[in-house]
Formats: sequence, structure tokens, C-alpha cells
Amino acid sequence: MPRSRRSRRTLTVIVLVVLSLSLISLDQNSRTHSLTSGVKSVANDVYSPLRQGVLDVISPIGDFFAGAFNYGSVQSQNERLERTIGELRAAQLEQGFERNQLRDITALENLPFLQSLPTVTAQTQDEYSSNFTATITLDKGRADGVDVGYPVVGAGGLVGHVIQSFHHTSVVQLVTDGQSKVDVTFGNGNQFLGIVDGQGPSSSMTADLVPPHTPLKKGEPMFTSGLDAASYPPGIPVATARTFHTSAGASQETIDVDPAADLSQLAYVDVVQWVPST
Amino acid sequence: MLRVALVILVVLMVQQTVMVALRIGGAHPDLLWLLPITAALLDGPETGAIVGFWAGLSFDLVLPTPFGLSALVGCVLGYAVGSLTAAADPRAGWIKPVAAVAGSIGADMLFAVLGAILGQSQMVQVDFLSLFLVVGISSAVLVLPVNRLMRWALAEEGHRRSLVSAQSESRAW
Repeated sequence: MPRSRRSRRTLTVIVLVVLSLSLISLDQNSRTHSLTSGVKSVANDVYSPLRQGVLDVISPIGDFFAGAFNYGSVQSQNERLERTIGELRAAQLEQGFERNQLRDITALENLPFLQSLPTVTAQTQDEYSSNFTATITLDKGRADGVDVGYPVVGAGGLVGHVIQSFHHTSVVQLVTDGQSKVDVTFGNGNQFLGIVDGQGPSSSMTADLVPPHTPLKKGEPMFTSGLDAASYPPGIPVATARTFHTSAGASQETIDVDPAADLSQLAYVDVVQWVPST
Repeated sequence: MLRVALVILVVLMVQQTVMVALRIGGAHPDLLWLLPITAALLDGPETGAIVGFWAGLSFDLVLPTPFGLSALVGCVLGYAVGSLTAAADPRAGWIKPVAAVAGSIGADMLFAVLGAILGQSQMVQVDFLSLFLVVGISSAVLVLPVNRLMRWALAEEGHRRSLVSAQSESRAW
């Protein structure tokens, strides 16, 4: 190969690598992050309708094949759902009185609870777009009142929080993501504290910083603590204890937990317009 | 360049609409890396690096991972595949699947490690066995249609690896 061609090739690659590193630097620097965020925001505004158009075209085809192959399971799922609806109706009637009592007590105690916070209902456009992050993309963005840091709830508990907000879309980091950490409280009178850590999309979550031999029971619910400067309002179900033990000489209890929210059912979620008190 | 841009857009759309739904063991196929791999196999390391950079940048616009990371990995991948396969016979049947499997897995490893260095520690906490199996097997299968698309795109400007005649390559297909 001629030397000039090899030199040009090397130069091209060096230029592209330097360009990539510059873009990464711009994105990582807090002062220039808004620049890359703005570019992504514009790109998402163009990309989202395009992607939705493609989905609208291919979804009926996929649904047809899925329906044909899974007719039996769809039918049994439908029966299960009907039974669940019946049970929920009954439970709703029973809980009406208790709910009124809880509302009164909460008002007396002046505790913030989720029902009093404004929310934005959003539809999930995209799930796990990358193999390396546990995220979902919502069809609501800054223009709809969704901003970075807002908690997202749905499917029975805390889903995560908004990490990127564009004009008409936003990206939510799920509680199972390896970067997610949620301050929680649990036990009688919520006297115990801990941190629920995500371990990646395909691994179970753990509850950390819980003192050894803390009394727990299987299925013990854990709620957002709402302590000073917490990232979430108090009282949102985060996880339930699955397994727990204290190893000899350990400084904390080893607890594996399951998300309280059913993260496989995230078609619609609520974004809570709540910012931490500073 | 217009055809290359079109191919990148088509592959991006297929990835974000069809491939993300095919999750097995927490991982889904990744078409992004096949673009620089096929470009490098067809036209050498320089084209591989250029296609890898632009394909990565396009994916960076819609992924929640650090902006520029896919562009960097795509560029390095294209260059590496083009350089390592330069001496191989491009008509050999094994070269595309082997390059696709090795390149995709290598790119995912590099992507995860660089992401962790940039503070995204969760990127090295994924189940790598599932990831490599899903990405490796799907890449070996999907490299053929992506290679066809890339061949069509690069034919626009007379790009072709000089040692491969159009006739002999079409026989290989």
C-alpha cells in the first residue's frame, strides 16, 4: 500500500477519534452539556414522529402474528384480568372507608402524599433502547411540564426518575438501572432506613446500609423516605424484600428486593411534578 | 454519501422499532456495529471508520448513553475490522459472520468499559453472557442483509475494495 494512502487513512481515523472525544467532553462537562442536550432535543423532535410512523405501520403486522401464535395465552390472560378487575372492585368498596380515614390523618399530620401532587400522565414510547441502561422513553417532555429529576410512578410503585427531558419526549432511568439509588424506609412505624440500589436491567435490586439483624419479613414493603434533600416525595412504594440474611461479622444485612412496580407493564406512567426541597 | 445516510437511517429505525422489542435474557440485537463492520469489509478501514463515526453519532442522538461514545467505538471498530481483514480473502464465506460476531462483541466490551470510565458504572453491570450470546448470534445472521444494504450504499460513489471485482463478489452472494 502506498505510504501516502496509509498516512491519509491514519489521519482520517485520528481526526474522527479526536472529534468523538471532543463530543464526549462537551457532553460530560456541566457547562457545555446543554449544547449536546439541545442537539439531542432537536434530533428527538424529528426522530420521534418518524419512529412512531414506522411503529404504526409495523405494529398491526406484529400484532397479527403475535395474536395468531399466542391466542391461547391471550385468552387465559384475559380471563385472569377479568377476575382481577372483579377483585379490585370489591377491594375498592371495602377500602373506601379506610381511604377516607387515611386522608384525614394525613391532612392532620400535614404529611405530603402523592395524591396531592400534580402529575402528568405519559405513554411509554420506547423501552430499554440500549443494552447498557434500564431506561424508558416517554411521549411527554418539557413542553408538557416534564423536567429532569421528576419522579415517575406507575404499575404499583416507583418506576424511576426523569434523566433527560427534550421538547416533547423524556427519558426515565428505571429503579433497576445500575445508577439508581433510592432512600427508603420500612418496618413498623417506618423506623428503619436503607438505600435501594439498582443492579442493572437483568439483575435483582438490593437494599443497602441496613444494620445487621434488622427484623424483616418476606414481602416487607419499602417506601421512599422523603428525608431532607431526598430525590423523591415520601411514601411511594419502591420495593419488597425477597431474601435477607446477615453474614457473620458483616456490617450490614444482605437484602435482595423486587421492584414494587411491575416494570413489565409500563404502557402508561405518571410523572410527578415534584422537586426536592433544598 | 446520501445512500450511506439513508442506510444509517433505515438501520436506526429497524433497531429502535423492531430489534429493541426482541429482548432475550435482558439483551437485544444491536445492528449499529454491523454498519462499520460491513463498510470496512467492503471498502477498507478508512470507509469503515467514517461510516462507524456517522452511524455511531446518529445512534448517540437517540440513546441515553454519553453523547459521542457510540461514534468513538464505531470509528475504532470500523478501522480495526478493515485493518485486520485487509489480508483476508473477502470472498471467503466465513469472513462476514466471523467479523460480525467478533466485531460486535468487541465493540460492546469497549463501549461498556469506556462508559464505565465516563462514570456510567452500570454499563459494566449487565449480564455479559446473555449480551454476547444475543448480540453475537443475531449479528452473525443479520450481517448478510446489512452487508447488502451497505454494498448498495457504497456502490454509489464507485466505492469497492479494488481487489474484489463486482462479478466475483456477486458470485459469492
